[in-house]
Amino acid sequence: MAGRLTDKIAIVTGGASGIGRATVLRFAEEGATVVAADRNLGGLEQTKNLAQKISPDIETVAVDVSKLDQVAHMVDHAVDRFGRLDVLVNAAGVLILTPPLAEVDERHWDLIMSTNLKGLFFCCKAAIPAMLKNGGGSIVNIASMAGVQAYSQSLPYAVSKAGIIHLNSVAASQYTSQGIRMNCIAPGFVDTPQARGSTQSTEAIEKAARYHPMGRIGQPEEIANTILFLASDEASYISGSTFIVDGGSWSVASRL
Amino acid sequence: MDKLIEITNKAVADYGFRQIVQWSPEDIVAQWQLSAREAEILTGVIKDELDRLPIPVEPTEVPQEQERVAGVIRQALG
Repeated sequence: MAGRLTDKIAIVTGGASGIGRATVLRFAEEGATVVAADRNLGGLEQTKNLAQKISPDIETVAVDVSKLDQVAHMVDHAVDRFGRLDVLVNAAGVLILTPPLAEVDERHWDLIMSTNLKGLFFCCKAAIPAMLKNGGGSIVNIASMAGVQAYSQSLPYAVSKAGIIHLNSVAASQYTSQGIRMNCIAPGFVDTPQARGSTQSTEAIEKAARYHPMGRIGQPEEIANTILFLASDEASYISGSTFIVDGGSWSVASRL
Repeated sequence: MDKLIEITNKAVADYGFRQIVQWSPEDIVAQWQLSAREAEILTGVIKDELDRLPIPVEPTEVPQEQERVAGVIRQALG
C-alpha cells in the first residue's frame, strides 16, 4: 500500500537518525512532503540523501528544539514553502545516563528536560496554530517505555518521557475538538544510535535481545510504521492515546 | 581544564551527553560556565575527537579514550 500520506505536509524532528530518520523515509514512501529537522546536520544530510532516492519532496531544517525561535522558524519554513502543515512528528530526544536521584547533576536534568519535554512543548506550541489555520492535523509524540515503567538508568529521562505522555493527553483534550489529533507512542528497546550509545556495550544489546520475548529488539522502521498509521487518516478516530510498541516485552514481564 | 575533562569524560562514556556536546555546545558552555578559550576548544578539537568515536565506546575502551581526549585538551591549553 502506498499513498497513505499523499498531499500531506509533515515535519519530523529528530530526523537525522533512528526513529526520526525511519519516519522520514516511511513518510516519503507514502507520498508525504517531508521537512526533516534536527540539530545534527551531518545526519540530516544523510537522511535527505536516502529520502531523495524515494521522493524529491524532502527538505531539511537545522533546529535545536529546545530553542523556541528555531522551532518557530522550522514551522514557518514548512508553511511558507508548502502552504500549510498537516503532520508533526516529535521524535527529537536525548538520553543522558544519570546516577540515582540524590546524585543527579542539575545540569544533566536541565539538558534532558530542555530537549525532551520543553522541546516537544515548543514544537507543539508552534505547530498547532499553523494546523488550526488549515482545519486541523495530526501530531505524533514519541515517548518511551521509560515513561511508563521505572527506568532507573536515568530518572530525568524517564520523567521527561512520562511528561510527554501526559502532555499528549492534556493537549488532546484541548485540541481534538478543533481537528487536531494528538497521539503518543511509547517504544520499547529499539535499535537506534541513541539506544546503542546509551546501552554502552554491544554485549548489553545482545543480552537485551536474548531476553526479549521475540528474541530481538525492535527496529526503527517498526516504530515508523505505527507513526505512519497514527499520522494518516486511517487513524481518524484516534486521539489522546498512548500506544506501547515494545514487541510484548512489558506484557510478558507483567506476568512474571 | 578540569571542566573540559569532566565534560569529555562524560561525553566519551555516554552517547546522549556526547550528542549535546557535538550539536548544542552553547548549552554546555552556558551550563558549565566555560571561558571563551574553553568554549573554543570544546567546539574545535574536542568536537573533532568526539565525532570520530564509535557508538558506543565499549566499556573496556572508555578509560583509554578518555585519557586520549584529555591529552588533546592539555595540548590545546598549552
